[in-house]
Amino acid sequence: MAKPGTSRWKLALTIVAGLALGAGSAVWATRASGMGGEDFDGWSGSRVTGSPDADPWLRARVAFAGLLALQRSQAIYFTARADSEGQPLREECRYRVSGGPIPGKWWSVTVYAADNYLPINSDDALSFDATEVKPDAAGNWTALAATRPEAGQPWVSTRGAGRFDMTLRIYQPDKSAQDDYGSIPMPKISRLDCGGRA
Amino acid sequence: MKAPVKYALAFVLAVAAGHLGAIVAAPRLIMHVALTKMSQDGKIVNGFQFGPRTTEKSRGVVRPSPDLAYASCVYDLSRGPVLVSAAPSPDQGYVSISVFDARTDNIAVFDTAQYPQGIRFVLAKEGQAVPVGEQVVRAKFARGVILDRRLAPTAELFAVADQARRSNICKPL
Repeated sequence: MAKPGTSRWKLALTIVAGLALGAGSAVWATRASGMGGEDFDGWSGSRVTGSPDADPWLRARVAFAGLLALQRSQAIYFTARADSEGQPLREECRYRVSGGPIPGKWWSVTVYAADNYLPINSDDALSFDATEVKPDAAGNWTALAATRPEAGQPWVSTRGAGRFDMTLRIYQPDKSAQDDYGSIPMPKISRLDCGGRA
Repeated sequence: MKAPVKYALAFVLAVAAGHLGAIVAAPRLIMHVALTKMSQDGKIVNGFQFGPRTTEKSRGVVRPSPDLAYASCVYDLSRGPVLVSAAPSPDQGYVSISVFDARTDNIAVFDTAQYPQGIRFVLAKEGQAVPVGEQVVRAKFARGVILDRRLAPTAELFAVADQARRSNICKPL
């Protein structure tokens, strides 16, 4: 039979190991899932980001991946980590981002590296926004996400981004968009080629 | 209770407590670090600071928007309320003032679409006396940050927004 002192040490070590594993699982879960929320055509977004209604898990995820995010009456955020075929977004590939009218006063699409910061490059093309795209008569537009620009289309640089994601911000969203995220026509991210190969 | 069962139960309970404790503590800890950084180790509190144009080198807060000009006021209400005001941008571009508490919650937000002549309010803790006639935002926690976001997708528009925001006020009453 173990001595009482030894048993207490074993129990203490068991508890410390459990606490460490629990804390580690919390950090892993929050960092791995980004800002979390529901999926809308490949873009994830939460209705309670920044709001006092957020549960502790969402609040922790936002603190890691979107600190100081606004609540939905002011801005809605969506993040895409994969292209339209479900493949992770990566620097080696070129992507066409296409969409229709976005229901808000202003919107932008920004590339973020895996560390949740802007990619390190000096291209001065870290995003494209509503003022840069050239919608056709139906309001449809396209833009390029790649390491190099191409003439005649808005461009967001992915140089230095590695595995990256894109965040769509819709500022002063229409009431209908605030009430029903599913009604927002989300942009499509189509992979054009990777490493110069289609 | 048999020893293996006791250890297993203790381990499971500790994992749950560790997970929940970290989830609840993380936002406050991260916000505390951000507030310390934004206030330059507590040297600049209850006063606006005006950030430079966001670039790839901006590392103060995760996921900054390169299309916006940011200004921040780390507030401390422990000695009383704070008066906040922000002028619109001359081009009527997007301007918002948002208030975040120590738990990261966005407890209030105003924009110049609602207030085209400018935004003005008093930020006070629950229970603090405030002047009559002022718009009031109540905070649960004494510390937090106020953010001014202005549309500034180009260097030229950033210069315009920067000039406008210099008249912002964030000061104790």
